Amino acid sequence: MLLETHRDEIEAILSRYHSPRSAVLPLLYLAQDTYGYLTETAIREVAAILNMPPTDVFEVVGFYTLFYKRPVGTWVLQVCDDVPCCYLGAEELIAALKQRLGIVEEQTTGDGMFTLQRVKCLAACDRAPVLQANLDYVYDVTPERVNALLANLRARAAEARQRGVSGRFAEDFEWGPDGALIRIDRAAPYRPRQFPAAPPSAPPEPEPVPEADAGHDQLADRKGSPL
Amino acid sequence: MDLSEHIIMRELDVPDINDFEVYRRHGGWEAYRMALKEKTPAEIVAMVKESGLRGRGGAGFPTGIKWGFLPKGVYPRYLLCNCDESEPGTFNNHQIIDRNPHQLIEGVALSAYAIECHTAYIYMRGEFAAAAITLERAIAAAYRAGFLGRNILGTGFDLDIYVHRGAGAYICGEETALMESLEGKIGQPRLKPPFPAVAGLYGKPTIINNVETLANVPRIVEKGVAWYRSHGTEKSPGTKCFSLSGHVNRPGNYELPFGVPLRELIESPEYGGGMRGGRPVKIIIPGGASAPWLTHEHLDVPLDYESVAAAGSMLGSGAVIVLNDTVKAPHVAYKMDEFFKHESCGKCTPCREGTHWLVRVLHRIAEEGRAAPEDIPTLHSIYNQMAGNCFCLLGESAVMPIKSALTLFPEEFEAVVAASRHHPHGNGHGDGRHGPVIPLTAKR
Ligand SMILES: Cc1cc2nc3c(=O)[nH]c(=O)nc-3n(C[C@H](O)[C@H](O)[C@H](O)COP(=O)(O)O)c2cc1C
Ligand code: SF4
Ligand code: FES
Repeated sequence: MLLETHRDEIEAILSRYHSPRSAVLPLLYLAQDTYGYLTETAIREVAAILNMPPTDVFEVVGFYTLFYKRPVGTWVLQVCDDVPCCYLGAEELIAALKQRLGIVEEQTTGDGMFTLQRVKCLAACDRAPVLQANLDYVYDVTPERVNALLANLRARAAEARQRGVSGRFAEDFEWGPDGALIRIDRAAPYRPRQFPAAPPSAPPEPEPVPEADAGHDQLADRKGSPL
Repeated sequence: MDLSEHIIMRELDVPDINDFEVYRRHGGWEAYRMALKEKTPAEIVAMVKESGLRGRGGAGFPTGIKWGFLPKGVYPRYLLCNCDESEPGTFNNHQIIDRNPHQLIEGVALSAYAIECHTAYIYMRGEFAAAAITLERAIAAAYRAGFLGRNILGTGFDLDIYVHRGAGAYICGEETALMESLEGKIGQPRLKPPFPAVAGLYGKPTIINNVETLANVPRIVEKGVAWYRSHGTEKSPGTKCFSLSGHVNRPGNYELPFGVPLRELIESPEYGGGMRGGRPVKIIIPGGASAPWLTHEHLDVPLDYESVAAAGSMLGSGAVIVLNDTVKAPHVAYKMDEFFKHESCGKCTPCREGTHWLVRVLHRIAEEGRAAPEDIPTLHSIYNQMAGNCFCLLGESAVMPIKSALTLFPEEFEAVVAASRHHPHGNGHGDGRHGPVIPLTAKR
């Protein structure tokens, strides 16, 4: 299947390496975006393309954290809870997301929109608290911005399904002056972050969304994704 | 301490510097063109050696000397640029690529020429997906301009640079694990020797350098060794891009000459801008998660490899995490060791089991506020059994946070023990629920 739908991309990937096996991570990303997550069939398919023993590919999938062996939401929210994020509001952010989505870590909302995960340092500690949504970076996500963030992501659900969960077409986001998310202009010069003189006031209590409060961690197979 | 010119965060203030043409108009790619036309590879290696450039990936090993370890006459050779940056507190590689990808590509290209290599890989951690796209676009622009590919600028030199994305595993930053990962295996470290310079990627001679290290090379070649050495200290020449995070007013990346005092980085209004809310400094972790902790007593330590080592820590990756008096030492140790537990590759027992065991005991102390008196000797015993017995430096690093916490703030652990005597669920003397934890589980 992959070979039929993505032959050019696969050949381009293979041409970069001395040994086909080196292409296992890029091909797994491709398979994951095509099928929504790494089904057993998808893993065997990658093994066949690379002429690798399937057990070796299963081992690789199990070792790395960015591969999903079961269905995930349209958006996978990965929140950094490492030092220093944890002392700059990551725990408050995770609590707000849990309350607003009605799920706990490693679960998916009932409407299949969001999966929530805790992850280790995302190398953007100066913009804490940070999260990645399908590997798009979103910086400075304070609890009071959770509603705006989730609304933005819901509105972009079609785009997320189109792009897949593996970040092969990722972008980075920050907050515009009016509190909306905007794509980062990579041409802008680097500026360190400046905290406001007074710490922000306590966040308002987020309201839980009724349609999403039943946490499910199993979803219908997402076969037939547009990618 | 001000810099007239940045070396690593070069042309920091120029808009659109990530555009190939803008970078070129500001002198970019000139060093590479000049080197290809006028200098031999050996001359570039000699310049880098004389510049005293030291690896920025953690160990601070002199780059020119490392390049000199390549066995003569063995080809092909590979150059690997290490952008696996995943240690808590480090974030400068990410921003170098976001803001000025061409400087890194020029550095990779120049270094590849110097070591006579024709294929270079930039290994990026999987989470840097958008940065990988930025870099790929910039590489494509360099190919279009004829600076990469076949017979570059008519000199007969060939070079391909590829971006390779990992998939979420900190251990893949360790050089031999990175090569395993690039070969399509799980990222577990290899036994050394043989060292990568002798037998690395696909068994061939391989040089592996950090992003920031390679970003220095264009300026060294362009402006010369004497100019480069006029920055920094005798033994740590040049500048460092310090990643400052935690409870400061202005967290961010600051490029400063080696030797700048810690206090200046934290307090100067141009850099850290002081502590948030004016609270006192409690813990300073000067070189990423693996560095032993410093305290407010060390604010006058100059930030260079030797001085930080003399103060009992290490400069490592130059990631300076500053925490104020609201944090509890056992909790910081717990969060740090949770990171190491999560990232342990599982290859060797002291690290796989030791990190699990540490986190179990620390979770109880730091998150639940319960501790039995025997827990403190247990923690000492675990880290002593790990130290010196792990296969790679990840396990050795996991010892540092707990050792630092127990050495610098023993009273905070004892306070939890004392409080547990009145805990509603037990007297803290081991009633089966509170005794020392015995490690039961294997990896993850
Ligand atoms: C567990 C572990 C993780 C590491 N992670 C990184 C990393 O993310 N980036 C990096 O440049 N070096 C990392 N290193 C150091 C590399 O092994 C290697 O020393 C370095 O890339 C060499 O480059 P340099 O000479 O330019 O410093 C790590 C080392 C260990 C033990
Ligand atoms: S020390 Fe830890 S990371 Fe290193 S080889 Fe052993 S288990 Fe793996
Ligand atoms: S600690 Fe969260 S991004 Fe580094």
